[in-house]
Amino acid sequence: MSLSDVIFSTVRRALDDAGVAISDVDSVVLGAHDLTDGRSLSSMVTAPAAGAFGKDEVRLGDDGASAFVVAAARVRAGGSRCGIVAAWGRASEGDPDAIANALFDPFFTRPLGMTEISVSALRAGAALARYPGYGSWRERAGARRAAGQEPAGERATAALPLRPHELPIWSDVAAAVVLGAEPGPVEVRGVGMSTEPYDIGDRDLLGLPALRAASRQALRAAGLAIGDVDVLELDGLTLFDEALALEAADVVPAGGGMEAIAQRADINIDGGFAAGYCAPAMGLVRICEATKRLQASGTAALATGSSVVAAQSQAAIALARA
Amino acid sequence: MTTGDSSEPVPPLKLAGHWDFRYEYFAGDAASRFFAELGQGRIMGTVCPQCQRTLVPARGFCDVCYVETTQWREVGLTGRIETFTILATKFHGLPDPPVVIGYVTLDGASTAILNYVQGVPLDDLDAAGKQLLGQPRVRVRFHPQPEGRITDFHFEVTDDPA
Repeated sequence: MSLSDVIFSTVRRALDDAGVAISDVDSVVLGAHDLTDGRSLSSMVTAPAAGAFGKDEVRLGDDGASAFVVAAARVRAGGSRCGIVAAWGRASEGDPDAIANALFDPFFTRPLGMTEISVSALRAGAALARYPGYGSWRERAGARRAAGQEPAGERATAALPLRPHELPIWSDVAAAVVLGAEPGPVEVRGVGMSTEPYDIGDRDLLGLPALRAASRQALRAAGLAIGDVDVLELDGLTLFDEALALEAADVVPAGGGMEAIAQRADINIDGGFAAGYCAPAMGLVRICEATKRLQASGTAALATGSSVVAAQSQAAIALARA
Repeated sequence: MTTGDSSEPVPPLKLAGHWDFRYEYFAGDAASRFFAELGQGRIMGTVCPQCQRTLVPARGFCDVCYVETTQWREVGLTGRIETFTILATKFHGLPDPPVVIGYVTLDGASTAILNYVQGVPLDDLDAAGKQLLGQPRVRVRFHPQPEGRITDFHFEVTDDPA
């Protein structure tokens, strides 16, 4: 399939699942990267594939969760009554490491061969040094994530101290949701977004402050506490990123994230990073998974997505079953 | 005119592509001075007048406070590896892996700076990882022929106490 075929089939399925005709859609918000698409200004070819013909379309060079937040804001503001949100990344068409390296500063970090995996590795090293539990629980947490997974694609190249099974499988990923003003089975109750400094040396590698701020903002807007949330779908590039995300979102105290993944079956139940990964689709994948789980049995969900250089920006969405 | 059943399988076509764009990035005043000072054997930061943090490498503004930083301060040539990674990915023009990247806060700096760490034996990567997880102290070594690049210096593990 071509990239546009992948996008079309994904958005078509979302529309059919929602029982919405394309003629009912008045806006399209996309999350995509030119470097990942291998085409500059890739909206020219991808936006029509996402249903944008004749419609108001905007693309964020950012994660699909951020695109979802923008789409939700448009609906809330009355600028849209029914919109498509779509995000994708097709790892099989390009070189994920080379693309990732190109995201880094040309003076201070790109010449060192840094990639987003290597920033995750820095986080992992910091976590292993500070939290003994990370070392003792990582095998079991990794085993839980790996169980039953055989996604198509290649395992990311390791950067120690990350181990192979703690790394994502680079895959072709596309996600789409239909978001409207009319009541539906799942409601958007709150959203949040935040951004950290660009310079890696100026980041709180363990605290993920952007995710902390975004998730608190979303839950506050929803009138929910984290304890009210029974569906957790938190984006993370590697096992360590997922573990630290749990702490940043106040699900567990500092140092408890790895144990939580090892012990709990209710976090990223599709396998998270191990089920197939390609930025910038993953936040919208988490939203889709959260929506499905709420439709099945859940009450309230927190879904998050990270983007830009090594999770510099974060978006969080609080959803609830209607 | 050729007709055919559209359901007949056709081998999927793939097309190789390559992007090769040249850029000439402007470093700006702060980075330009930072690299010039590197060539003189000094590592410099700028001080945020609001939060008082010493930002290394030197920058023209503080992201957090969103103010201009114009006061310069030299930082120490020793520090601690707060965290690390050992890279396995080969990039054109860069050293062959495995290479160690240290995330080091130099004495007197408020932020960390990344660079290669040399002198860690890499024949046993697990042992190297254990050594680096101990957050050893490092000192800066300058390149004898600076080029105005981040590789004008690297770190070496030192036995000097904290």
